[in-house]
Amino acid sequence: MANYFNTLPLREQLAQLAQCRFMHTAEFADGVEALKGKKMVVIGCGAQGLNQGLNLRDSGLDVSYALRPEAIEQKRQSWKNASENGFVVGTYEELIPTADVVLNLTPDKQHTSVVNTVMPLMKEGACLSYSHGFNIVEEGMKVRDDLTVIMVAPKCPGSEVRAEYVRGFGVPTLIAVHEDNDPKGEGLALAKAYAVGTGGHKAGVLMSSFIAEVKSDLMGEQTILCGMLQTGSLLCFDKMVEEGIDPGYASRLIQYGWETVTEALKYGGVTNMLDRLSNPAKIKAFDLSEELKEIMRPLYNKHQDDIMSGHFSQTMMEDWANDDANLLKWRAETAETNFEKTPAGDVEITEQEFFDNGILMVAMVKAGVELAFETMTAAGIIAESAYYESLHETPLIANTIARKKLYEMNATISDTAEYGCYLYNHACVPLLADFMKGIKSDVIGKGLSLDDNGVDNARLIEVNTALRSHPVEAVGSVLRGYMADMKKIV
Amino acid sequence: MDSLTRLNDIHQNHILLTKATVSFDDRFTLSEIDWTITPEQHWVITGPNGAGKSALAAALAGIGDIQSGSIQGIPNNVEIVSFEAQAELIAQELKKDDADIMDVISLGTPVSEMIFDHCQDTELAQTLVEKFGLSTLVDRAFRKLSTGETRKVMLIRALANKPELLILDEPFDGLDVDTLAMLQAHLASLIDTVPMVMVLNRFDEMPDFITHVAYLDKDRPEKKRGDKQSGDKGRLTLTVDRQDNAAFNELYQLLHLKTTDLSVPEADPTNKLPALDPSQPLVKLTQATIQYGDTVIVDKLDWTIERGQHWQLSGPNGSGKTCVLSLITGDHPQCYTNDIFVFGFQRGNGESIWQIKQFIGYVSTNLQWEYRVSTSCKNVIISGFYDSIGMYTKSTDSQKKIADQWLKLLGMQDRADQPFNKLSYGDQRLLLIARAMVKHPPLLILDEPCLGLDDINRQLVLALIEKICQGSETTVLYVNHHAEDQISGIEHYLALKKNN
Repeated sequence: MANYFNTLPLREQLAQLAQCRFMHTAEFADGVEALKGKKMVVIGCGAQGLNQGLNLRDSGLDVSYALRPEAIEQKRQSWKNASENGFVVGTYEELIPTADVVLNLTPDKQHTSVVNTVMPLMKEGACLSYSHGFNIVEEGMKVRDDLTVIMVAPKCPGSEVRAEYVRGFGVPTLIAVHEDNDPKGEGLALAKAYAVGTGGHKAGVLMSSFIAEVKSDLMGEQTILCGMLQTGSLLCFDKMVEEGIDPGYASRLIQYGWETVTEALKYGGVTNMLDRLSNPAKIKAFDLSEELKEIMRPLYNKHQDDIMSGHFSQTMMEDWANDDANLLKWRAETAETNFEKTPAGDVEITEQEFFDNGILMVAMVKAGVELAFETMTAAGIIAESAYYESLHETPLIANTIARKKLYEMNATISDTAEYGCYLYNHACVPLLADFMKGIKSDVIGKGLSLDDNGVDNARLIEVNTALRSHPVEAVGSVLRGYMADMKKIV
Repeated sequence: MDSLTRLNDIHQNHILLTKATVSFDDRFTLSEIDWTITPEQHWVITGPNGAGKSALAAALAGIGDIQSGSIQGIPNNVEIVSFEAQAELIAQELKKDDADIMDVISLGTPVSEMIFDHCQDTELAQTLVEKFGLSTLVDRAFRKLSTGETRKVMLIRALANKPELLILDEPFDGLDVDTLAMLQAHLASLIDTVPMVMVLNRFDEMPDFITHVAYLDKDRPEKKRGDKQSGDKGRLTLTVDRQDNAAFNELYQLLHLKTTDLSVPEADPTNKLPALDPSQPLVKLTQATIQYGDTVIVDKLDWTIERGQHWQLSGPNGSGKTCVLSLITGDHPQCYTNDIFVFGFQRGNGESIWQIKQFIGYVSTNLQWEYRVSTSCKNVIISGFYDSIGMYTKSTDSQKKIADQWLKLLGMQDRADQPFNKLSYGDQRLLLIARAMVKHPPLLILDEPCLGLDDINRQLVLALIEKICQGSETTVLYVNHHAEDQISGIEHYLALKKNN
């Protein structure tokens, strides 16, 4: 299979990358009509598979689960999940030939084998749905010409997909149609109905393309989302210990600090995150982040270039074929780092203290978000996609670190994200070695100890203007505005 | 009391609150509490909803920030059983469920681990497990238990820990008749070993061994301009020795109210439901069965609810009452494997749950736990028009007007814009009852509606339900354990049995 993106002419590549728009509520007026009476068969009964299925059924759709014969015979957990919830369960051979829509909700790595198994069984003119485009775009899976191929990707863990639906709401969702596989022109109608069925239309739907989703998703996850947070965690922890700060305190400051500072990011972008600092600390964070951006820009460019050229997915698939040798070695190394092995101390850190004593962490988040956004848009990805795959998702990943540190983060993110995070971390730690030599506990661990919070007016205005006029802030405030309109009216 | 006697009190293991002002986040403050508990006393804390009964109980367990004054003499080993602690435990279990970002579904902690890993006296715990009838449930996941069953787990944990002070916030709420009698007897056997403090909303539930009653009242001074919003305050206004008949009668008067001249606010004339075929029953369950693995919770139940037939549903904890109701509301996944006819729909034929829910008003303890979103009190009532938890659509003027009438009826006009999640349990419950009734639904399901309500509000709610039963538009389905909370107008009864 050849990399699909690389088979397209530049004109087409750019056109696909430039797709991403926030859909209007009126576009969902037909509800689930396009899927009414059709047979939807889910493959993969994990959290996404089960919870999406529960929502779709509660929206009046016909949902069943196809499992491997072993899972059924041995009454494995996936069989219990589906059957205790009153779903029809059967083998691929029993259910796939009856399906009008097959929902592939298995992990990326299994896609090639799953799709190769399922495709010959699917009936003429049916629809195959993905929740991630890697298999199509990077692995170049060629789906039968008569089949419609769509993507519906709720941007939250499965339990939230269900909980929000039950409340009468939903989670933000990305949809796309694979243009090479839309023989009847019904792909968009099906994807919209599917998004309505899971409740996504109430929280906001982004219309994107398979290519824009894959290229921006890969870039975001390996740089700012996972790579930067992993690298920052390790460097900040070792620095604090070196500076004589209690390791338990240092561990807590980092484990919960990312979540706290990125919560501010979620509400009001990079600007609000830095506004949480005192004026002298804000200027300090700004200067640090400018320095970081200059050092790391070549690395971000390399990641984006390798993603665009297909080099990244090629090396990763080689590692998959080699039983994940590189990845597993690195995963084991992560578990042995000082940060990972030091439990968070039993000390209270107030919400504001995470900002005051974590100036460097704020600077790293700012540098990572802005660099990822700038690099993506420079490579032809539209600002909306770049925003969602950088700033918007950072708090979600920070939340996984708060739960159980890096190991949990790496265990929960996708295979592709973890491999990308490995590459980034490997390169970024040595890259920042010199920079870290100049860092003291005033910017990580203790906070600035100033008698006077005074700053120069001109400098403050300069910094505030730079923060507020960054392009990620412009698109962010528009998109957050849309979401707020749809979200809870408090 | 002079300072010398106070000093003596401390030496005699007394618990001593001296002008104690305790705040709970920014939502509530107990104001200058003076209170002494001696080791041989057993207290009930009572008072209206929102006066701080649970807050005072929690303060004894070391929760809250002491702003001024002092609390002395609290022993080391204190156990508290309360809705807040129960909700906290359930929230922890649900958090484990979030592990599914790994795309696996967690099974939750088994009951045995919840109990035996947390208590000192495992032998006593084992005895209590049997007494509470939980023996068959020890391998089940904690979060799969019913409301009453999780409450029992909490009680067992507390009792088997042999506390030096036992604080029970509404221990009897949600327990069936047999369990209630057993628990009362068990507590009576402990009166010489541990002082007990209970929060009770219902005066008639007070055990005989209670020696003293503390009455709290709301203290809401008028807000001055420029005042910081500092939440409500509660004050200990009366302590009564049970031997003192005159004082006890005075207290009794405080807790009763006349419920004549009540009227239910009108429905929203702009909110029209699809018409139902009057010749069909509202609900018809045929051989309804719910089971998990080999455990059968509900076994081949036939039940038809005709329009205008008001029903009362009863049965011991774990007999599947909530399960049966969730088959009707569409919240139970097994409603798709059963023969269920509701509001003109044979389930599983392409209808959505929202088409079902539009005909139902619903209140239960589960709903209250799930209603964890930050929204205003008024919006909570209005969300009843949309069957949603939280508000996701702009409300209409006529909906707002009706919500205001409900707030007035509940005496909560001044809290219309306050955040719901900062109210006391009982006040939240009142608003959820209004939410259930607001659209005058064809079927009103009240699953133990009076849990957490003080005596006055309970009388108010029961009176409202009676009014609704007298009207013709709403059919009432009522679940309750208390023989004295009968509703006149209910003439049909269904009793469920436990299946093990």
